[in-house]
Amino acid sequence: MNASLRLSLTSLRAHRRRFAGTFLAVFLGVAFLAGTLVMGDTLRASFGSMFGEATSGTDAVVRGADAITTPGEAQGVRRPVDTSLVRTVERVPGVAAAAPNIQGAGQLVGADGKPVGGQGPPTLAGNWITDPKLNPYQLAEGRLPARSGEVVVNRGAAKKGGLKIGDTTTLRTPDPVRVTIVGLATFVGQDGMAQVTFTGMTQADAEKYLTARPGQAAGIQVRAGPGVSQEELVRRLTPVLPKGVEAITGQQSAQENNDMISSQFLTLFTTFLLVFSGVALLVATFSIHNTFAIVVAQRTRENALLRALGASRRQVSAAALAEACVVAVTASGAGLAGGIGIAAGLQALFPAIGFPFPDGDLVIKTLSMALPLAVGIVVCLGSALLPAVRAGRTAPLTALRETAVDSSGASRFRAVAGTVLGAAALAAALTGVLVSPSVWPAGLGALLALVSFVVLGPVAATTAVRLLGAPLDRVRGVTGALARRNALRTPKRTAATASALMIGVAVVSLFTVFGASLKATMDQTVSRSFAGDVAVSTPSFGAGGSGLSPRLAPALQRLPEVDTAVGLGRGVAEVDGRGRALTVTDPAALARTFDLGTVTGSLRDLGTDGIALTRAEADRQGLHTGDTARLTFTDGRTQNFTVRAVYGQSELAGDYVITRAAWAPHRTQDADTLIAVTFEHGVSADAGKAAVRKVAARYGNPEVQTREEYAQSSAGGIDMMLTLVYALLALAVVIALLGIANTLTLALHERTRELGLLRAVGQTRAQLRAMVRWESVLVAAFGTAGGLALGSFLGWVLVKASDGASDTAFAFALPPARLAVVVLVGLAAGALAGLRPARRAARLDVLRAIATE
Amino acid sequence: MTTTALRTAARVVGAVKVYGGGDTAVHALDGVDVDFPAGRFTAIMGPSGSGKSTLMHCAAGLDTLTSGAAYIGDTELGALDDRRLTLLRRDRVGFVFQAFNLVPTLTVEENITLPLDLAGRWGDREWIDALVGVVGLGDRLHHRPSELSGGQQQRVAVARAFAGRPDVVFADEPTGNLDSRSGGEVLALLGRAVRQMDRTVVMVTHDPVAAAHADEVLFLADGRLVDRMASPTADKVLDRMKAFEVRS
Repeated sequence: MNASLRLSLTSLRAHRRRFAGTFLAVFLGVAFLAGTLVMGDTLRASFGSMFGEATSGTDAVVRGADAITTPGEAQGVRRPVDTSLVRTVERVPGVAAAAPNIQGAGQLVGADGKPVGGQGPPTLAGNWITDPKLNPYQLAEGRLPARSGEVVVNRGAAKKGGLKIGDTTTLRTPDPVRVTIVGLATFVGQDGMAQVTFTGMTQADAEKYLTARPGQAAGIQVRAGPGVSQEELVRRLTPVLPKGVEAITGQQSAQENNDMISSQFLTLFTTFLLVFSGVALLVATFSIHNTFAIVVAQRTRENALLRALGASRRQVSAAALAEACVVAVTASGAGLAGGIGIAAGLQALFPAIGFPFPDGDLVIKTLSMALPLAVGIVVCLGSALLPAVRAGRTAPLTALRETAVDSSGASRFRAVAGTVLGAAALAAALTGVLVSPSVWPAGLGALLALVSFVVLGPVAATTAVRLLGAPLDRVRGVTGALARRNALRTPKRTAATASALMIGVAVVSLFTVFGASLKATMDQTVSRSFAGDVAVSTPSFGAGGSGLSPRLAPALQRLPEVDTAVGLGRGVAEVDGRGRALTVTDPAALARTFDLGTVTGSLRDLGTDGIALTRAEADRQGLHTGDTARLTFTDGRTQNFTVRAVYGQSELAGDYVITRAAWAPHRTQDADTLIAVTFEHGVSADAGKAAVRKVAARYGNPEVQTREEYAQSSAGGIDMMLTLVYALLALAVVIALLGIANTLTLALHERTRELGLLRAVGQTRAQLRAMVRWESVLVAAFGTAGGLALGSFLGWVLVKASDGASDTAFAFALPPARLAVVVLVGLAAGALAGLRPARRAARLDVLRAIATE
Repeated sequence: MTTTALRTAARVVGAVKVYGGGDTAVHALDGVDVDFPAGRFTAIMGPSGSGKSTLMHCAAGLDTLTSGAAYIGDTELGALDDRRLTLLRRDRVGFVFQAFNLVPTLTVEENITLPLDLAGRWGDREWIDALVGVVGLGDRLHHRPSELSGGQQQRVAVARAFAGRPDVVFADEPTGNLDSRSGGEVLALLGRAVRQMDRTVVMVTHDPVAAAHADEVLFLADGRLVDRMASPTADKVLDRMKAFEVRS
């Protein structure tokens, strides 16, 4: 065996403990990364097989040819097909069966009066397709709906809503429909298609409640007779279809559904996780680098001896690198196994917490193994590179001198470079914020700020620890003083240790500040542009929910307490070749309940051929009042609209406004997303709200909220997101914590004799433990303080840059309570990290410690 | 001095210390009975492996005896747990080690008051000032140990050892790392503390010149007390040591 390699192997064996922290850091990072990739692939594959199986009986789908997709939507809106087309299709030779598929939004109300689902996955209703091969759902219990008002629901939805066969409840379509559950259905053997809820009704009911007018369906599902392939079937169907209607194979349709789930949910989900494993690995890099640097420093004498005995620089460096390599490979390898374990664990965990992800074997692709392995090795070797080079540079003479632990503070070069970087960061960030608002220079500024913080760490460490530790002397006496000075011993090391935590805390603070700012923005938006007294809405998130009954707004308008009740519906159309969301409403009433900013023209008489749009959209398309805008609707028809008004603020009202009359010919399933209500003069808020609530109860019981409540609930999703982010960032914090613990253990090892002396002259074990713990807390406090400052600054830059770069005005908010919690968590992490090193140090035998060389 | 000699600052009775077990068992102490009278400067001498350091460590509560008993004043050390032993060391015993006596992060003054600070005691300012005056480091109080010479560091260690007015100060080869001039200063300091300030010192050494500073020298060989010599001189001690080597 090669000499360098032999050296590193023996040293690894001798100092296994030292590398335990490094091993764990790499292991966790790689495991998280590999777990994410395997999970993503597995979910993708199992969704794929689920859709494949669910639609295996469907050989072709007939549907509207064109889809209008608005920005931010994965699945476009298609023109419906006539149900009468079913008979035409059935007559085509080779067709065994055909059934219309009528689908719309339909949210069940549970036994407790609360809506079922709606927090992400769609809540669907449709006709129960009687041909069992064409229907992805199968009846599991009870019977099929035979009469109007009878429905089958998927078992998962029934469980969630506490509903049983025989129960009568409300289905929001969004018009409330009284339905009786007569059967429970499964989806390819599962309780449901993931978390999607489905209510199957008779075809007549479906046509009545889910479509704009009877005789329309979202599509027609077709089954081929024996010997007819899917492609052949599509070829035969195509000639009989009217213009604007197309046929695709069942496989294609399944693929589209799968892609939709992938792009809408899985990609987002995995990207999200990948970002956080990136943060964790970045944090790990710092911890690992620090460990190697300390180990090399501690081995200066040994390396010098090797050099004196004739080892070349390269051999000494190679020995150090080989050591890192062994750690990297074993830890990354173990990380891969851990990642597969995580994926398997999650697969088992999801159903247990009522989140039925589809079954299926774990999909382990080469890439999801090779990538984390490579990243782990690169991170580990990259972190060890500099210390290894330094090891090679050891002068042979050092062997003869006293062990010199690296106690060099901050060099002037470092201070200058850090300051220059910091200034550049500030300049770039301010350019992005103030001069030409854009996210790119701001992002560059953020990156530079991070680098400058890391570079300046050792410069700042001395002052910062002195300041942060100042109260410690007074509170903890000599124990505190010792802790503080120990933390100050090697500012470089303290800074490097703290950097890991700093990055973790910075990301946490960034999200906290950004989240709070978004909430403040929502709040500001609502309080600025919502001029009503109460808002009626169905809180929903993502694709779920069904909206509000279009009959509710007129019903509220009839109340004596109500001055104006205006419902905002949603339509889609292509404007200027791009899909756009339209707000369908009574524009005159809209102007009374929303602050639309400066309005040019009049919203009074839009009629059936008038449109109002925001200033930003108007400017983008060069439209002025009196000009003509061309809109293409989902039914394929194109109509010219005259721009009658241009308004300043779009926030709640949307970018385009047309009247209900103009929308009526093109409408799909009708629903309002929001109803704004203003009260008559002299009606108290409580009385008005009570009256509105009473009426709303009859229309599926949506939420009736005052302006403040509405603002708060609009921001509800942000809290949910933040919780998830915090959970994911916990990993980075754990890795930083491991880094602190590891550095501390190594540093204590250097100070063995000193610890022995302290114990000999009367330091109790408890005092020694406290001293180590406080040192750890101080290092953590330094990292936390830096992270908090950096994170808040980045948050400010991000918010301000977004504010300048987009049409929406972003508000900046610093949440003191939440940030205080971040600080406490950072300090607690420090105390926790110090626990084990402190215990180990306290166990030292006094005599042996004094006698160590 | 004769009156104080009646009082015992520390003693060991039937002290046995065995390292290892079975065939490889080593008897570092093999039944030692010795009193360290208060107000006296006692030196322990003996060849390497004679058990002199072990005797000191056990008498000072840094190590435990296999059998027998060790006392500081009237306190039996074997009955104390780690915490009480630590408090005893802090409050009633002082130490001067061969090297690495000072905490590098603390100043000279802080090092001197370290045992008091650890106990949370204020200490006797006049006493501390007097000590500082005796060791002659008044102008270095705010320096770090790394800024001092080896001799100066040992003098600080001596001041630290006496700061809490302990019952007894144990010194383990305090001059082992020093040149003869610095060593002489440190020994003179220890002697002065005993004679002028009425303190008690027990010193382990292998240097006859150092031992000559003591009031009495105890000779250890193979874990047993083999001789005592009052009013030693360097020559007498050296002769005695030579006699050892001849005999063994």
